[in-house]
Amino acid sequence: MAKLNTIVAILIFAFSLGAYSQTTTWEVSADQAAKKNPLEILPKNLALGRNIFKRSCVSCHGEKADGKGLIQSTSLIDEKFQKQTDGVVFYKISTGRDKMPPFGAMLKEDEIWSVINYLRVLVDPSAIPPPKNVKLELTTGEEIKSITATVLSADSAKLPLSEVDVHFYVKREFGLMRIGEMSNYTGADGKVKVVLPEKIVGDSEGNITLVVKIENNFLYNDNETMAVKKWGTPLLSHEDEFNRRALWGARDKSPVWLLLLANGIIAIVWAVIVYVIYNLFRIKKAGRIFIK
Amino acid sequence: MTDLYRKEIEIKKEQFQDLVSDLNSPLNRTGSSFKIWIGFLLLLIAMAGFMYVRQLQQGLGTTDMRDIASWGLYISDFVFLIAVSLVGSLITAILKLSNVKWVTPLTRISEIIAVAALIAALLIIVVDMGRPDRLWHIFVHGRLQSPIVWDILVVNTYLVISILLLYIPLIPDLALLRKTMGHKPKWQQKMYKILSLGWQGTEEQLRIMNLSLTALMVIIIPVALSIHTVTSWLFASTLRPGWDSTIFGPYFVSGAFMVGAATVIVTMYVIMTNYNFKAYITDKHFDLMGKLLVLTSLVYLYFNLNEFMVPAYKMKSGESAHILGLLVGEYSVLFWSVQILGMILPILLMIIKPFRKPKPLMIISVVVIIGAFLKRFLIVTPTLLHPFLPVQNYPESYHHYNPTFSEIMITVGSFAGIMLIISLFIKLFPIIPVYETAHEKGFPNEIINNS
Repeated sequence: MAKLNTIVAILIFAFSLGAYSQTTTWEVSADQAAKKNPLEILPKNLALGRNIFKRSCVSCHGEKADGKGLIQSTSLIDEKFQKQTDGVVFYKISTGRDKMPPFGAMLKEDEIWSVINYLRVLVDPSAIPPPKNVKLELTTGEEIKSITATVLSADSAKLPLSEVDVHFYVKREFGLMRIGEMSNYTGADGKVKVVLPEKIVGDSEGNITLVVKIENNFLYNDNETMAVKKWGTPLLSHEDEFNRRALWGARDKSPVWLLLLANGIIAIVWAVIVYVIYNLFRIKKAGRIFIK
Repeated sequence: MTDLYRKEIEIKKEQFQDLVSDLNSPLNRTGSSFKIWIGFLLLLIAMAGFMYVRQLQQGLGTTDMRDIASWGLYISDFVFLIAVSLVGSLITAILKLSNVKWVTPLTRISEIIAVAALIAALLIIVVDMGRPDRLWHIFVHGRLQSPIVWDILVVNTYLVISILLLYIPLIPDLALLRKTMGHKPKWQQKMYKILSLGWQGTEEQLRIMNLSLTALMVIIIPVALSIHTVTSWLFASTLRPGWDSTIFGPYFVSGAFMVGAATVIVTMYVIMTNYNFKAYITDKHFDLMGKLLVLTSLVYLYFNLNEFMVPAYKMKSGESAHILGLLVGEYSVLFWSVQILGMILPILLMIIKPFRKPKPLMIISVVVIIGAFLKRFLIVTPTLLHPFLPVQNYPESYHHYNPTFSEIMITVGSFAGIMLIISLFIKLFPIIPVYETAHEKGFPNEIINNS
């Protein structure tokens, strides 16, 4: 009996807690609100923040963070939201409320901070310097099939640029196939290398087109360069199979035996039919002679 | 002596006149019941036509054919009609060439059934097309490697031969009609005149006619076998459970002879009772046609045993759903009804002589025909409902096929069309060959030609 009472009590407590949490507001303590964002607004952090935003936030808050996702939610770009300090936003993302999940359990602190940075930049692009042009070079290894991208400043000094996100692709029939990681950052020498996977099918001679891109970068304008290499497995052509006479061939590629057989049968049968129709005229003619 | 001879000739002439007026009597009797019958058939055809116009406007969505069951009642009807048409070759060619004399009064019946069924079959295949306006593509873009092209070729060839085989024995009868039907409308007289080709019954004309008939009777046998074999290949040359069979050709042909014989029995019964042809279509004819139906049914039963026993014994994983669906599943009631009521029971009954009397035999034949039609449906549709490649994300209704009112009406319309062609033919031409009957009754050519 006592046990039952305990269970009932716990249930009532749980329900009341649930009811309470429905109407709860975020109580952000002063020291939490004062927490400073340890991350600088750097392109690398922004890229990370954007990736996490796209993965975890877009579904509810929308592509433009205006709260118009699959469900109606808080706009993250209006003034009311942006007025809050980084610390308050950090607390809210971490603890969650109602439909907003507690991301503190899913994301690292740095990741949450980078999302906050990204949200700040969304409404104030001037927080980051305008993107610059770069020089993108592509070199290929010969012993192992590797691609090296070199990013240099576009001015005459041609200084190597580090920490630039470069994307590597192989051109396919209808689009680009990504190779390497989602993000490949250049080192201090401005270079980043990716090894080509085995057994990439090329054209009939085995040529493949390698594409290196800088895209959607906060610091640099889009840039792309490509190279053709005979690194692929040659594409086997079945043209000959389709061009020879076969059952699966086109209309004018019927097998000879079928042509002979079918047309032979048709010729014999229709010869008899034509002969019989000719006989009808002979019958008519024979009748005419009789009348005369 | 000469007087006696002359008298004998006079008697013979009179007898021949009686025979002619007897066999031509359907042409002269057009009662109100016939008009009602024609009106009824035209009404059915008009309803089918209306449904077809609706189908043209709204597309094949008016049928219950969907992605999975893309062949339904129309294709079943097509296979059924092709099967029925085979009887023309069975009676007029196979039995005639074997010197079976008693089939003479049945030759024209079977041949007009063949022609009418073929015309309906060619129409129903167009009805089954979603875009009939592209029919000509099969002639312009068709590949000789495709069984569809063979089917088109062989069905049309068979139709031409059947029309010739219907027409050529009719020529002497047309010559008689030309002489005796002076009271008929002008167009009808003109038709008899043109079609009779100035037939005088000379030795030369007879020789050419018999030569032509023999040539046609020989050539129609392989063509008839190939028409239904090719139709079966439309199924058997695909990789489908239930169709992937090497005996599909003979299986179809034997089934065709069975339903064809049953169709002839029903038609000859109707003609015999309606036009009082008891003297020409006798109990003996029914008895022998009953025996023929038993024979063809037994052959078909044997093929059925092979067709279902072998796959059911193996129960290959891909085919088991289809086999079980027929034997114990969704279609089991229909399947066993068709096999038992439409085949085994008729065989058992028809072995007993009293059941080969006209009326019971006619009733049995009607059951056989219904069974044969449903059998075609069982061949076509359940297979499609069990594709080898799994299908996903289809509405539940796509996994079943229940013909719509529109499809049923159009199919009924095809039968009405066949009956209309036969009914009108009976009113325009003697349905029992006059010349051949007279010839077999021993009337000399002079009497036949000079009456």
